[in-house]
Amino acid sequence: MWRWKDAFLRLRALLFRREMDEELQAELQSHLEMQARKNLSAGLTPQEARRQARLQFGGFESAKEECRDARGVNFVETLSRDLRYAFRGFRRTPGFTAVALLALMLGIGSNTAIFSVVYAVLLAPLPYPNPDQLVMVWSKVNGHRNSVSAGDYLDWKRQSTVFQDVGAWSGGNFNLSVSAHPEVVRGRINSPGLLNMQGIRFFMGRDFLPEEGELGKEHVVVMTHKLWSERFGSNPHIVGQQIRLNGESYTVVGVLAAGMADRFESQLVVPLAFKPEQLTHDRHWLLVMGRLKPGVTLQQANAEMDSVTRHIAEIYPASNKAWSASVESLHHDFTGQDTIKGLWLLMGAVGFVLLIACVNVANMLLARGTVRQKEVAIRASLGAKRSQLFTQFLTESLALALIGGILGVSLAWAMLKAILAILPPFSIPTEADVRLNLPVLFFSLAAMFLAGVLCGCAPAWQSSRWDLSNSLKESGRSSLTPGRRGFRRSLIVIEFALALTLLSGAGLALRSFWKMTRVDLGFRQDHVLTFALSVPTTRFSGPEQTVAFYRQLLDKIQALPGVSYASASTGMPVLGTDFGMSFSIAGQPAGDPSSRPGAGFTMVTPEYFDTFGIEIVRGRSFTEQDVAGALPVAIVNETFARKYLSNVDPLMQRVLVQRLVPGATSLGPPIEWQVVGVYRDVHNAGVRREGFPEINVPFWQSPWPDAAIEVRTSGHPASMTGSVAAVVQSVDPDLGIDRVRTMDELVEESLGGDRFATVFLATFAGMALLLAAIGIYGVMSFAVAQRTHEMGLRIALGAGRAQVLRLILQEGVSLAILGLFVGLCGTYFVGRLMKSLLYEVGATDPATIGAVTTVLLASALLASCLPAHRATQVDPMVVLRNE
Amino acid sequence: MAQGKSRLDLLQGTLDLLILRALRADAMHGWAISERIQQISRDVLQVNQGSLYPALHRLEHRGWIKAEWGISELGRRARFYSLTTSGRKQLEIEFENWNTLTDAIARVLRMA
Repeated sequence: MWRWKDAFLRLRALLFRREMDEELQAELQSHLEMQARKNLSAGLTPQEARRQARLQFGGFESAKEECRDARGVNFVETLSRDLRYAFRGFRRTPGFTAVALLALMLGIGSNTAIFSVVYAVLLAPLPYPNPDQLVMVWSKVNGHRNSVSAGDYLDWKRQSTVFQDVGAWSGGNFNLSVSAHPEVVRGRINSPGLLNMQGIRFFMGRDFLPEEGELGKEHVVVMTHKLWSERFGSNPHIVGQQIRLNGESYTVVGVLAAGMADRFESQLVVPLAFKPEQLTHDRHWLLVMGRLKPGVTLQQANAEMDSVTRHIAEIYPASNKAWSASVESLHHDFTGQDTIKGLWLLMGAVGFVLLIACVNVANMLLARGTVRQKEVAIRASLGAKRSQLFTQFLTESLALALIGGILGVSLAWAMLKAILAILPPFSIPTEADVRLNLPVLFFSLAAMFLAGVLCGCAPAWQSSRWDLSNSLKESGRSSLTPGRRGFRRSLIVIEFALALTLLSGAGLALRSFWKMTRVDLGFRQDHVLTFALSVPTTRFSGPEQTVAFYRQLLDKIQALPGVSYASASTGMPVLGTDFGMSFSIAGQPAGDPSSRPGAGFTMVTPEYFDTFGIEIVRGRSFTEQDVAGALPVAIVNETFARKYLSNVDPLMQRVLVQRLVPGATSLGPPIEWQVVGVYRDVHNAGVRREGFPEINVPFWQSPWPDAAIEVRTSGHPASMTGSVAAVVQSVDPDLGIDRVRTMDELVEESLGGDRFATVFLATFAGMALLLAAIGIYGVMSFAVAQRTHEMGLRIALGAGRAQVLRLILQEGVSLAILGLFVGLCGTYFVGRLMKSLLYEVGATDPATIGAVTTVLLASALLASCLPAHRATQVDPMVVLRNE
Repeated sequence: MAQGKSRLDLLQGTLDLLILRALRADAMHGWAISERIQQISRDVLQVNQGSLYPALHRLEHRGWIKAEWGISELGRRARFYSLTTSGRKQLEIEFENWNTLTDAIARVLRMA
């Protein structure tokens, strides 16, 4: 009841504000009259009676204000009045407003953009029902997680009790034939029910039935909405129809819902049906996901899996000794540590930008506040309380932050487009939906509020504590007390310290990236076209067919005009070697199989070294005589020779490596490969990685169905794509060509993650530099304006223009230098944080830090130049006459 | 004016009680309320008029007193305040509280 009445009164007060104000005025007026009449009857003159009445009453306006407060609506009134006042102020000083808004827009905009990525990748819950229950179950050996063997998976599924369900999957490539040209599509091989367990929604159709996980019944397929609309014309009757995969017929049983699943690299799913020979415990090839029963914690699940794996190890000691399992939350399980670190680094960078923007705006508000000193003094003498002045100033800065923030959100929208455009594909989890959603907007709102308070507090505090009588007594020239000037100076110092820290971080990233683009990769990346063939293991009945197929293919490609060399290989520079094999050196004591060293193992055709321009530093390359039946030969890289053949003549050694048998689940007997050459180290695992021992053997001696093809061209490599694809078609119409890239593109792509971080760090550092320069410019111009009088005097007393110029420049630069010294500490910590992300650049790289310091100092000098020049233009006569 | 007598500033919160008490008999406008308090206390209690009106508006907002425009004894328009039912109840409560408080303070002072 009371509440209603209260609300009613408030509403009335709000709606009839003017009427109520008039009433209040009338009421107080009548009081004064009555008091005056009383005074009159006490014998005072009419004039004196009125004066006394007024004096007895006390603060008339503040009493009115308190009455309004008592009515309880004053907050809204005050706010709207303060806002109107603030906007009038903004309109009066458009230059100040524009710069402040720009600073806040950059600060809040970049924060919003980066936070939306951080939120989507790291903070948002996974878009599945009860995502906390979803876990990955990994095999674990020597403290490292590993994929899971089929035998282990099935035993886990049978023996564990903590899961509602467990499913497994593996990846694969499929030749999808829709039109005349087959294309290679990446897919998943899922155990039936996995999609349902994960909670991935269907657009139509269903997940696989349990019996579709049996051999002979597994020719069914589920596809993404994207593949369905792009390749099957959104055919509404597709469920139940047959499509051709790898030359065989599959029945479509479902289409996934549009959205999240379309971001998967895998565009189709087929059931996982184990062949009898796949049911081993020593071949690790599956990924396993489980859904925990409600209430089961990760610790409980891990404890149970410990006992399950111990039990399995007792039964299969040969394969499972030393293997255990690790249950991990699905969230973040596929996000690399470097990605996480890089994202937080960017978040830190934009945090710095916002801080610098706030310091900047605070500084401008302070300067503005000094100019408004008289206005404030007048308002205070009219009865405005300190708290009211404080609120007024805070309202102004909050309004600024809010407008700047709204502009910033639109900037963030544009930045997000840029981010998504240059974000390397599949570098963030597919579940991450990067956009401006509600949590992100809440964050921006919080950032706006924080920015408003941060840049408003100091000026508000300052303005509400001016000494009234002093300000009023002073002539038109407002002066700064040394203390207050000191505060603004320390803000500049802070700004420069922050800017240097951010700039050095960006500088280190830039330098590291620059070094990466200049690394000698050990091969010639120009004029090479590469692609992959996805040949099903069932296509060739034996090594002879494989050799025949690739010989025919390479001969035809080599015969094309414009092709200098064509080669086939398993694995490639930058993309990595496909096989890692343990080896031993003939004649040296071979240790226990599990403790043998490993090396990258690649099968290549003889032209491989010519195609990539890889230098043979000792011995010979492979020739057309190194074929099946001839002496098995190998070429090792320099690292291998240095590491394992340093005390002997490498060309006299043989390495023992077990035979790789296509389609088989275990390795064949060891083969002795005679080392015939040593080749120069190549960055096979990407630009950053080098120094791995590698063994190359002739493809003709150890053929493999799945291979990459590389073509060295005389013209632009990409222009050869069509004719090369036609050759593949002519050899096998069921094969599509996949991942067609020039080598230049591959190198470029491999640097995508680094480029992303570098581009954005540099952008944000640029913003910081701009803001810092604006800041010092603002402070210096203001100082010059305030000291016009002093400058005039100096000039009148004989100071030369050069001296005045030096005086001002000195002041600006000394502030910057002080800031730089403070910033150097920040630089040190940023360098330490970034260490693992840098390539061949020290955390405190003197060249980088020297460079960014110079840039910052130069910008400070530049920003002080204009105001300094203005100071020299002061006409002493004008100044002195004004006195 | 009682120049010689010392005046006491009102304790926080007692102004409300005095206003309610002053209005118990009949409706009054603000100036009359301040005069009444001053008179009855023999000029010991001086009501600061700057705080009288905010207090009146606060009490009105709480629903303890209500206001009506009327004609003052001098024939001018004035705002007359009177107690509401809940205001009467509030007066009793505050009166009780005041008695309890002063008794307690008196006891403490006597003992000391």
